[in-house]
Amino acid sequence: MPKIKINGKEIEVAAGTTVIQAYKQAGIDICHYCWHPGLSVAGVCRLCMVQIEGMPKLQIACNTEVKDGMVVNNTSDLVKDTVKWGLDFHLINHPLDCPICDQAGECGLQDQYMQFGAYDPEMAEPKVKKAKVVDLGPTVVLDSERCILCSRCVRFTEEVSKTNELGIFNRGDHSEIGVVPGKPLDNNYTLNTVDICPVGALTSKDFRFRQRVWYLKEADSICPGCSTGCSVKVHYNEEGLWRVKPRLNPEVNGYWMCDVGRSTYKYVNLKARLISGKVGKRDSWNEVSPEDAARSAGLRLREAVEKHGADSVALVVTGQYSNEEYQSLFKFFTGDLKSKNVFHWQNHPDTVEEFDGLLLRGDRNPNTKGLQAEMKTAGVQARWENLQTGLSGKKFKVVLVAGPEDQSVFPDLKEKIQMLSGAESLIWMTACGNADLDNAGGETWQIPLKTYIEKSGSFTNFKGLVQPFKTGTTIVPQALTLSEATELLAGRDIDWNLRPKGLGGAKVNYATGQRGTL
Amino acid sequence: MSLVSRPSAAASWYLPGILAGMWFTLKKMIYNILHPKKMPTLNYPEEKYEYGPRFKGNHVLTVKKDGSIRCTACMLCATNCPAQCIKITAAEADDPSVEKYPISYEIDVLRCVYCGFCEEACPVDAIRMGPEWQTAGLNGSKFTYDIQQLAYRPQLKGGIVSVLDDQDRHHAGI
Repeated sequence: MPKIKINGKEIEVAAGTTVIQAYKQAGIDICHYCWHPGLSVAGVCRLCMVQIEGMPKLQIACNTEVKDGMVVNNTSDLVKDTVKWGLDFHLINHPLDCPICDQAGECGLQDQYMQFGAYDPEMAEPKVKKAKVVDLGPTVVLDSERCILCSRCVRFTEEVSKTNELGIFNRGDHSEIGVVPGKPLDNNYTLNTVDICPVGALTSKDFRFRQRVWYLKEADSICPGCSTGCSVKVHYNEEGLWRVKPRLNPEVNGYWMCDVGRSTYKYVNLKARLISGKVGKRDSWNEVSPEDAARSAGLRLREAVEKHGADSVALVVTGQYSNEEYQSLFKFFTGDLKSKNVFHWQNHPDTVEEFDGLLLRGDRNPNTKGLQAEMKTAGVQARWENLQTGLSGKKFKVVLVAGPEDQSVFPDLKEKIQMLSGAESLIWMTACGNADLDNAGGETWQIPLKTYIEKSGSFTNFKGLVQPFKTGTTIVPQALTLSEATELLAGRDIDWNLRPKGLGGAKVNYATGQRGTL
Repeated sequence: MSLVSRPSAAASWYLPGILAGMWFTLKKMIYNILHPKKMPTLNYPEEKYEYGPRFKGNHVLTVKKDGSIRCTACMLCATNCPAQCIKITAAEADDPSVEKYPISYEIDVLRCVYCGFCEEACPVDAIRMGPEWQTAGLNGSKFTYDIQQLAYRPQLKGGIVSVLDDQDRHHAGI
């Protein structure tokens, strides 16, 4: 293990570490653009200059490996001057677009200019004009003027997504990022290029101009998009959720996440949500509070068990809820009601084992493993065919459904709703409203539930890793978590003092100090 | 230690003071009736005072030379606003040289404290505080000013042109 001295601080790093990694390890600021820990070294920005004792000239820290006894610093006047004028060269053609640039507020160029640059420009020539608002594909927009040609996005498509859509065209001043005509940037990982872009050259069509980033707060969570369970940050404010970004987790997703996972904020927002409980059937819905809906549904459920025995009720569960919620649900259903009719609703059984080689898995539920484990603990082994025969034979009087949170990953939703509403009474717990459910013929209860960002719990991912997550924000305060709904179904009360408040109030400028770190 | 001086017996006999005051009022009244032009007061609301151009009154959104709105929807005014009375919704423009513009720009004047921070924050001279100052209205009046009111109200005679034009800036190489 080589020992080196960085800015007078002695640290021990693993052999093969580069100087810039040692800087990051020591927690010392160093100016850089093109280097990204998840990508190969390009050495094109020339900003991570360091002075190494015994070397006649300055070296770039990203492409220099540490040696035992190395003495490095980036605080000498020579280094500071080099970095400052290096920044000047980067900014020669960079437009003053900050007011309309989406990156403003989390821009590496802004932050590093304030920290390392802060000079008066001495460039007399006018700026080179390039194409603005270039459509690269279905998700990403390019602004060539703002690009500083760090080549991070090009390396990403080469090394990580291995799709090779992006490249650098032309020479010198006229170099531009671009795609070959007829081959747009269209894969499942495109938005990572927007994340790693240190300036506002690549922007996401989905987020473009929706919010300024300083109006957004962050909350850590786990992506519910598939069974990989990537660690994510959810960006939200008083108006709802706006975007999902990856969070470093070397065990699961590294620095990346897929575009499918990034759309999981959409069904959380108010527009898609079920706001109040509904009791009744087609054309005669009664809107009641969620807790009243859950209580009256509980009465119906327990009455059916008393009259017709425990076999007259069935529970249908999707793999979209947390382990804790499954535990309380099974405790109630198999413990209190003593019913063994628990059915696992697998949305696409044929593609469960599929994997795209990077992150996205065919099983588009976050917690299928957790559900299977809890079902095993509860000792239930009901088969889906039994549900179908039970429904057609009128054996099941009441069907309780912990329905899908993300309805877009359930292609068979309509058929399943039609099938399940064949029961005498259907109790459907879900976060989002559904038109097919509103047209259900039988007696139906719709109980609004909370989504992944509004509750705490844990998901078990495809390889059995249990990942806890915490409440980030609350969009629908009156909605219940599945555990709370279970308590109310069982006729017990929940602690109403612990209910969170919902959205509202004015948007405020939240300091985004850590957002711009490259 | 301060001593309280009690009024003397002579001072408590106040009728002379009242008469002196009445005489002064009468004198001024007669003078004003004889010289109405020299009167310093205005007959508001028939007569109105014209403030100077630097007066911070009602907000004005400036326009470009072609008459479209200058604002780029950067939200710096809304961020800087201490009363949180500015609400902007941005949208993507068809013209790539404009890129971003506000489809809605609303100022809740009942919240506004007329501090002028929005004007200071604006990087493109899109919002100014003009010399108009009458914001009073009856119940049900429109106190949320929209783009139509802020940029194109009849008093502005077709809009005030911003001093910072995008075309000029592009020519200057900024």
